[in-house]
Amino acid sequence: MQMHEQWKRRWNLAQLKSVKLGEPHIIASNSVRSIVSKQLPWPLIDRVGAIPLEAETLVVVGGGSLIDRVKVFRKNDWPSLKLVAIPSIWGSGAEVSPVAVLNGVAKDIHFSDDLIPDQYVVWPELAQSAPIDLLRFACGDVWAHALEAFTSPLATPEIRRQAAELMNEIAKYPLAYDERWFDASSAACLLQARSGVGLIHGFAHVLEPKLRSSDLAANWGHAKLCSTFLLPVLRFNLSLSPRVQNLAKEFGLDLERVLATAKTLFLPEEYASAMAEAERNWEGIARDRCSRTNCVLVRRDSVEFFQRFRAAGVTA
Amino acid sequence: MKSNREKLRDLLLEVLLLSDEEFSFDLNREQVETWDSLAVVAIAAGVDETFGYHFTPDEAVGITAVHDIIKVLEREGISFADA
Repeated sequence: MQMHEQWKRRWNLAQLKSVKLGEPHIIASNSVRSIVSKQLPWPLIDRVGAIPLEAETLVVVGGGSLIDRVKVFRKNDWPSLKLVAIPSIWGSGAEVSPVAVLNGVAKDIHFSDDLIPDQYVVWPELAQSAPIDLLRFACGDVWAHALEAFTSPLATPEIRRQAAELMNEIAKYPLAYDERWFDASSAACLLQARSGVGLIHGFAHVLEPKLRSSDLAANWGHAKLCSTFLLPVLRFNLSLSPRVQNLAKEFGLDLERVLATAKTLFLPEEYASAMAEAERNWEGIARDRCSRTNCVLVRRDSVEFFQRFRAAGVTA
Repeated sequence: MKSNREKLRDLLLEVLLLSDEEFSFDLNREQVETWDSLAVVAIAAGVDETFGYHFTPDEAVGITAVHDIIKVLEREGISFADA
């Protein structure tokens, strides 16, 4: 989906309510079920298996994981079902993305234009009561998408121009609730879908399933991992090649501001804890398909950089 | 100091997950299972980092053998003559 098509698929809540959708049913994550049931007049169901055969439209309201699960279900089992996605928080960009990531023992990544929801709705109030940490990690997720789209060896000059513009814009946003993050998130996701992602996502994809089972209390998720590894990976890329610096100069990206934001998002203790798992799984991280399209080659001995970074902490 | 041939060999061993014995400068894409489209991107990033040259998209797509990489780099003045 190109950027201009993104806006055609975007509705606000009033538009959603006014459009004739034909027997819509709703699946919503627990955190937003109450507000959803008050605002939308359609039946709320618990699982995709409960969608009645006469349904024409499914509205999914929730985080990236739920939206991705429903996207895969629709593509594989019910391609004629119209799908409307409503993210409960920004970050994943699942509402516009042709990618779906299913969580299991390992990440199962699907890629197809058939996964893109027919419409998406920006409903900012859903994120208003989200915990501060989650909102902050969601900002890190948007940053990771925009930055890795910009640095991707697969990015075109036009993608880089748009990504640089987007990053210069979101650098002005607070790392907290601000409804502008929703549109920024969709835009960042589309940019990375048209170029690629890199080592930040390599870390996130390999470590998330492992940390989720080994470190339950820390509540590791994709967005938290992206926030945690944004600064170390940016430093790694900058240390090995002048390319990122040169691209920033060429496309007018304020790299100092990006670094300052990455530092603000960085969590030294969480990084140290995630790195313990990363060392055990380095081979998998270095060979992950996202890491292989990093702007700097990820080698078997690159783990040493990240170990040194841990030792130096935020001042690295 | 390593010669450019050694640097290129090290880079390809790393990207294509080959052992010293498996590598030869005569290798082409069809002979190496790990030389997929993602490896092409990684080779491009590694060449940029190692030799300071960034392949154009056409060059990257046209690389189907180790000799192709050498040919492009030699055209840019990077010598692969034996030391």
